[in-house]
Amino acid sequence: MLDTTYHRRRTAQRLETPEFEAEYARMRRELAQVNAVMQRLDDLRIGAGLSKAELAREIGRNDAVVRRLFTAQVNPELRTIAALATALNAEIQIVPRSGSARSRRRRSEPVGA
Amino acid sequence: MPEGWDVIYYRASDGRCPTDDFLDGCPTKVAAQLLAVLDDVADAPPPRYAGGGRWEAMHGGMGGYYEVRAQGPGREQFRLFCILENGTVHELAGRGLARPAIAVITGLRKPWMTAFSERDYALVRRLGEDHREQFPRRIRE
Repeated sequence: MLDTTYHRRRTAQRLETPEFEAEYARMRRELAQVNAVMQRLDDLRIGAGLSKAELAREIGRNDAVVRRLFTAQVNPELRTIAALATALNAEIQIVPRSGSARSRRRRSEPVGA
Repeated sequence: MPEGWDVIYYRASDGRCPTDDFLDGCPTKVAAQLLAVLDDVADAPPPRYAGGGRWEAMHGGMGGYYEVRAQGPGREQFRLFCILENGTVHELAGRGLARPAIAVITGLRKPWMTAFSERDYALVRRLGEDHREQFPRRIRE
């Protein structure tokens, strides 16, 4: 069998550069969130016993649009995500990551600053 | 067997690796974004991936290819062109692969709001065809 570890080894080398490491981590977090939202919506859809076509009808959208959201690699509009969540009796929440530099800075800012 | 896929880089007959050459020429942040998407797709793995428009199945003459997309300074566009290596254990073994993989063929960049030429795509397809003709695959190791 071929040695298929080159990509991992080369990426590990690149990750030693702080600028690369920071951007790589930021992008992985962003992508993980998009994936998590889409997979959660799909789980809710399956739990509700709805086909993708039925869910599309619930939000007044074309079947193909909703099918692509779950099976292709598109960048969904927030309005569509909100509509899907509503149709599945769920809601979108933005939760600050605990311990992030920005939230720590906010907490340490004096009142009125 | 782990669920994730491998990521492999096509290597030309002269030993050059177009993907490495391309990534080495990208701004650092762009290379980081492209590789983060690749790793995210490989971990998903690809058939289940919904990564928000940064990993796209291509169509028309580029059907069968996938592109990883990133934007750099001045909105310059950067793309990696990939082929999915999937199949039965026997088929994968014939290609020298122990498990499914994303084969990265090469990368291209273009100014914002412009399209790659048919010549650009023909180059990608030529490299991709060379990759597919190799048993086992010729990759950067």
